[in-house]
Amino acid sequence: MNSGFVDIGYIELFASALLMLIAGVVSYKLELGQAKRILVSTLRCFIQLLAVGFLLQYLFEYQTWWIMVLVVAVMLIAATQIATSRIKSSVPGLIPAVFLSIFVSSLAVGMLIAEGVVRADPWYNAQQLIPIIGMIIGNAMSATAVAIDRLFADMDARENEMFSLVALGATTREAAFPSLKAAVGAGMTPVLATMSAAGIVAIPGMMGGQILSGVDPLAAAKYQIVVMLMLSAATTIAIVMVCFLTYRKRFSQDGYYLDRGQRL
Amino acid sequence: MALFEARHIAASYTRAGETAQLFSDVCFVLEEGRIYDLIGSSGSGKSTLLKICALMIKRERGDLFLDNKESATFEPTVWRRQVCLVPQIPTLITGTVRDNLLFPWKLKVHAGQTPPDETTLISLLERAELVDIELDRDVSQLSGGQVARVALLRAFATKPQVLLLDEVDASLDDESASAIGRLTNSLVDKGIACLRIRHRKADGFASGTFTLKDSVLSYASHVADLKKANPPTLDPQTLDPPTPSSLSEEVARS
Repeated sequence: MNSGFVDIGYIELFASALLMLIAGVVSYKLELGQAKRILVSTLRCFIQLLAVGFLLQYLFEYQTWWIMVLVVAVMLIAATQIATSRIKSSVPGLIPAVFLSIFVSSLAVGMLIAEGVVRADPWYNAQQLIPIIGMIIGNAMSATAVAIDRLFADMDARENEMFSLVALGATTREAAFPSLKAAVGAGMTPVLATMSAAGIVAIPGMMGGQILSGVDPLAAAKYQIVVMLMLSAATTIAIVMVCFLTYRKRFSQDGYYLDRGQRL
Repeated sequence: MALFEARHIAASYTRAGETAQLFSDVCFVLEEGRIYDLIGSSGSGKSTLLKICALMIKRERGDLFLDNKESATFEPTVWRRQVCLVPQIPTLITGTVRDNLLFPWKLKVHAGQTPPDETTLISLLERAELVDIELDRDVSQLSGGQVARVALLRAFATKPQVLLLDEVDASLDDESASAIGRLTNSLVDKGIACLRIRHRKADGFASGTFTLKDSVLSYASHVADLKKANPPTLDPQTLDPPTPSSLSEEVARS
């Protein structure tokens, strides 16, 4: 299986960092003022990925179920922090809602795939669990941030319409429903778009990585299919949950929308 | 009999971190079958008062009664179905005039009730002097005055007991505005009361005018010079003698 596997030497790895000079030159010439950001991003990419690599090496060797639980918990907390920091709208009680949504979606779908399809052995095997749950958390994190921003921007845009609907006796859910639809749709779009473009326009990252590291392309394709189905299901669960857990927070106890004037 | 009653209503607003009292003790009564105007300078809290009546903004204090039942005994959605506020900026949902008139029946609060049939809808449009508008007309093709009237009809079609109109004729030309006045007058019937915020000249349909000034609500009755004979309800707030026509009706009923 490892017949075509070529490891990258550390000299070549660090030499590749010179590629970032292109971005640096562009930033300098166009006076984008991005030099610091380019440097920081490059460093973070190196440090974080190598750290994960070392961590996984360690995990594969000394894994126990409770270390795995701990690692997944840290991933969930970090994802919640990143997702909420990306969200521009201020929503009370956002953090628990985002955490719960990412938690439920990644655990439900991740465990289903890890145990039912890939059949991890033992059940907490880091080699399967970490990549699967990691991919789901990463996607769910971006999708929830997109969906929440869309939901609250859309509700603000529909302030007058929702006022009319509530005045006619609509419940909060009936008033917010068009926005919920728009937000869930917006959150689902990226995954579905990637799914239909996969293989023709782009070799998805995971499949590309597997082929590069010597896995049989057909096996890699099968993995990729399962991964995409799983990501689609998991992001859908995450965004539906996060939208339905949070929309009510912009309404009063009596069910009217708290417009910008009333939120101050 | 008092259809709607507001007792000791207080409200304030917060601006730039400071709380200012809008009014602290407003009381009023609406009798069935009557239209009332609510006037006052902008910022005096007219819209806020209307929103409070429809449970659509926070009130600090005070009680609201519909048919002598306190608002707290209603689900807020059920209350708003009976005490229906038509906002200043009328918003129709995308779709046709029919979609809009039937929209309230898609809501949970109307579950199990049959929506009005085609004939009823057409007669509604006739009352609003919108005979040239078909039910299939897309609402994006309506003029401002027509949108305002469809929004009013949509609220009225559900037969609320109290109609609260927040300057629905503000942005309209005189002709559309007086059409709205005539429509309101034809809609307000036995069992219904209407309170409307207006800035225009009195159109003769209101049986009384509330004025909100310096946090105080005062009332002046016009029952004597009403354009139409109102149902024979005696207004306890006024000393107007009942008109001869209503007297004879009263006798005839008893």
